[in-house]
Amino acid sequence: MIAVIDSGISNIGSVMTALQRIGAEAKATRSRAEVEAADSLLLPGVGAFGDGMAALRHHDLVEPIRAHANAGKPILGICLGMQLLASESEEFGTHTGLDLIPGRVRRLRPQAGLRIPNIGWCGLRAREGASLFAEMPPDACFYFVHSYVVDCAAAEDSAGLLDFGEETATVAVERGRIFGAQFHPEKSQDAGLAVLDAFRRICETPQ
Amino acid sequence: MTEPLSPETLAKRRAQPTSGGPHPRLIPVLLLKHGVIVRSQLFKRHQVIGNPLSSVERFSNWNVDELVVLDISRGDEGHDLRRDDLQQSYGGDGVLDVLRAIADVCFMPLTFGGRVRSLADIEDRLSAGADKVALNTAAFETPGLIGQAARRFGNQCIVASLDAEKTSGGWEVKVDGGRHGTGLDPADWARDLERRGAGEILLNSIDRDGAGRGYDLALIRHVTDAVDIPVVACGGVGCYTHFAPAILDGGAAAAAAANIFHFFELSYPQAKRTALADGVPLRPLRLGSKYLPREPSYDRALEDARLAERLRQAEEADYPAARPEAANKRRPIRWCSHCTYPSISAAPMEFDEAGKCTGCQMAEVKAAIPASEWSRRTELLRDLVERYRSRDGSRHDCVVAVSGGKDSYFQVHLVKEVLGLNPLLVTYDGNNWTDVGWRNMERMREAFDVDHVVVRPSVATLKRLNRLAFQIMGDMNWHAHVGIMTVPMRVAAERGIPLVFYGEHGYLDLCGQFSMDDFPEVTYRDRLEHFARGYEWTYFVGREGLTAQQLDTWKYPSDSRLLDLDLRGIFLGNYVHWEANAHIELVTERYGFEISHEPFDRTYRTMSNLDDMHENGVHDYLKYIKFGYGRGTDHTCKDIRAGLMSREQAIELVKRYDPVKPRDLARWLDYVGMTEEEFDRIADTFRDPRVWRREDGRWLRDRLEP
Repeated sequence: MIAVIDSGISNIGSVMTALQRIGAEAKATRSRAEVEAADSLLLPGVGAFGDGMAALRHHDLVEPIRAHANAGKPILGICLGMQLLASESEEFGTHTGLDLIPGRVRRLRPQAGLRIPNIGWCGLRAREGASLFAEMPPDACFYFVHSYVVDCAAAEDSAGLLDFGEETATVAVERGRIFGAQFHPEKSQDAGLAVLDAFRRICETPQ
Repeated sequence: MTEPLSPETLAKRRAQPTSGGPHPRLIPVLLLKHGVIVRSQLFKRHQVIGNPLSSVERFSNWNVDELVVLDISRGDEGHDLRRDDLQQSYGGDGVLDVLRAIADVCFMPLTFGGRVRSLADIEDRLSAGADKVALNTAAFETPGLIGQAARRFGNQCIVASLDAEKTSGGWEVKVDGGRHGTGLDPADWARDLERRGAGEILLNSIDRDGAGRGYDLALIRHVTDAVDIPVVACGGVGCYTHFAPAILDGGAAAAAAANIFHFFELSYPQAKRTALADGVPLRPLRLGSKYLPREPSYDRALEDARLAERLRQAEEADYPAARPEAANKRRPIRWCSHCTYPSISAAPMEFDEAGKCTGCQMAEVKAAIPASEWSRRTELLRDLVERYRSRDGSRHDCVVAVSGGKDSYFQVHLVKEVLGLNPLLVTYDGNNWTDVGWRNMERMREAFDVDHVVVRPSVATLKRLNRLAFQIMGDMNWHAHVGIMTVPMRVAAERGIPLVFYGEHGYLDLCGQFSMDDFPEVTYRDRLEHFARGYEWTYFVGREGLTAQQLDTWKYPSDSRLLDLDLRGIFLGNYVHWEANAHIELVTERYGFEISHEPFDRTYRTMSNLDDMHENGVHDYLKYIKFGYGRGTDHTCKDIRAGLMSREQAIELVKRYDPVKPRDLARWLDYVGMTEEEFDRIADTFRDPRVWRREDGRWLRDRLEP
């Protein structure tokens, strides 16, 4: 059973539908007890970093999530959910994150001819051996809606790269059984559903 | 079709980044009107394509970049599929019910628009599964709304939809479905919308809507020059080469279209392949989905429960249409002012403001096609045939799907004698032949001196399918509808023959589902939605012990096979003037076609459907049980349109023939082992509450009166 954290900052309908489609057992929750009891966690989210952390604090979920991940149990952050895994963010001032992936969330650099937010289908370069992208065809694309990316302190935590004009940004992370995807797997057709399916298999594999 | 590229275009193509930003997009648009998807012309004429869920699933199979759904309903009437015997439906009659059902099978970004008036409307649509919400009239009438919406939900999910119409000196923005002018220039309005917080512009050309002449590139350029936000161009696509210029010359971030995606098999992959070849750096083409396969998998427990519930209703005579709450579903039935077609029917139909049905409207359009245009169409057909003809004589030139009826004879005559092709005839044998029908079918091989494949599934399998389909969908002839649309395509795919001919497009002829310039072809969606009603062969596996192997006959070629072979199923009626009554002389005199003198119980015509005794009989009787009309209506409509009878005469025939319980029922009951009482009880569970009510133990409906 995957507990999908519904802290009220985003609509989780699409995520639930996608999990159902891949045959994962999932339950939406904002209860501290249920998060503490969960075998695995999925942390979706859209919006601003500060609001996202505030919502987790409001429901008293920061510590249970940290404890879950530090105990080696699987967690996947999606979009803002991935950013919240980082140590801190520069979005509208400096905010502290869940600090599960050492690193800092920063804004995409403005470049001529490129719009921010970056919205649409983009290719992704997966790190060799990245668990969530094992079955990914090389020309797979994912659907992005974001203005921020994560700069990982440890390069090996970065699991997927986006070429955005002149810069290269981390848009997927993996550290032990902690995973993050900046794109929306639930909106990325088979490429995205395969990522969720890979996470489901990790969740079903004993540590 | 493709014009040489201008130096400017080539320069722009070189400048297009191959990486670095998101890919430009190719987007299908679905127009939703009172619960069904429609094809649109000039924002005015709407022809019913069908169930939104079938189209969305097909677009999911094709991995479309994004989907736009616009609700163009008007007035208070809600959303309704207009029949209850389909496998797929949505729960209620509200727009959010439809949206939720769409979102369930949509794993790509979804923009939903139409009738959005307030922040609450936007919030409702986002929570029901939309990723973006499009505003049009409300953005004009409530100036603050876009700004408030962008602040509350983020501008990435606020799309401003802009409808522009050509004027003498430029373009004017129109609102309210193109009805009201605003006096605004589209570029000024687009700039204003961007400033207020719109994240994207969906730009529609009213005068190009449904015209098929290509985009209004000057309009697109006019707007893309004015704003920095992405512009999605829509309106005017008539062929696949029309897409690329919207992006390469017009500067649009996405090229969108509605109608074209409904007409042809693999329309989206074909469009993408063409646009990629034209130099648009789209996301690569990908076909099929591991997680949402083309052949649906059904929730067995749920489906078993549905069937058990129906059999219980039959057993206990607890008919849905007889329940008190059925009164809420009842609809006042309208009939076409020109023919005898009712507004609740098995055939997708719309009425214009004068009350004339799309079938009659299209018949008029067709009758007005001059001889010169038919000659042009025949030339189109000759060109098409040349493309697919066997070059080395190693295979047949084409397949002709034949039932052995008069139309089959005419088709083979046309294909062999007029077009000079070497055809392979393919027939589906559903084991329901009339004697004369069987003789006519068998005669074709010698009469035309051709090869003929007759595919004959086992009778035991057919009996099971007859029985099951009757219980599940109130129609024993599922096997026939699906068999006819599957077997010829499959034989062609197996033998590497890329062209299959069918006769007329049934729904274009009967109910004007398409326009005469659409040239619709055979599609998997149409087959699954209209012929199979959402019940694929996979539905029957494991029922009455049926195995996947026993259902081989009904398995359609895979999408990748269709794409590799470029397999096309063509309706000859789109290219050749089709007057069924005139063919009879040719085929009897020249080829020895035998006319039946045996009258049918349910129609005055004797020359139709000789290949299947139940098609005019008990199959059609079930249509009457469901919707209150039958072949008498179908045939008189065609004859009124052909000028062969008056509406008054037709109404008399409808009254006489539509309610008749036919004699072939006895054969069917004996064939499948069912009692008449059992049959009647199950049939009555299918009575459509939109049509029927029960008073004092009798079934009543509104009737067509002269």
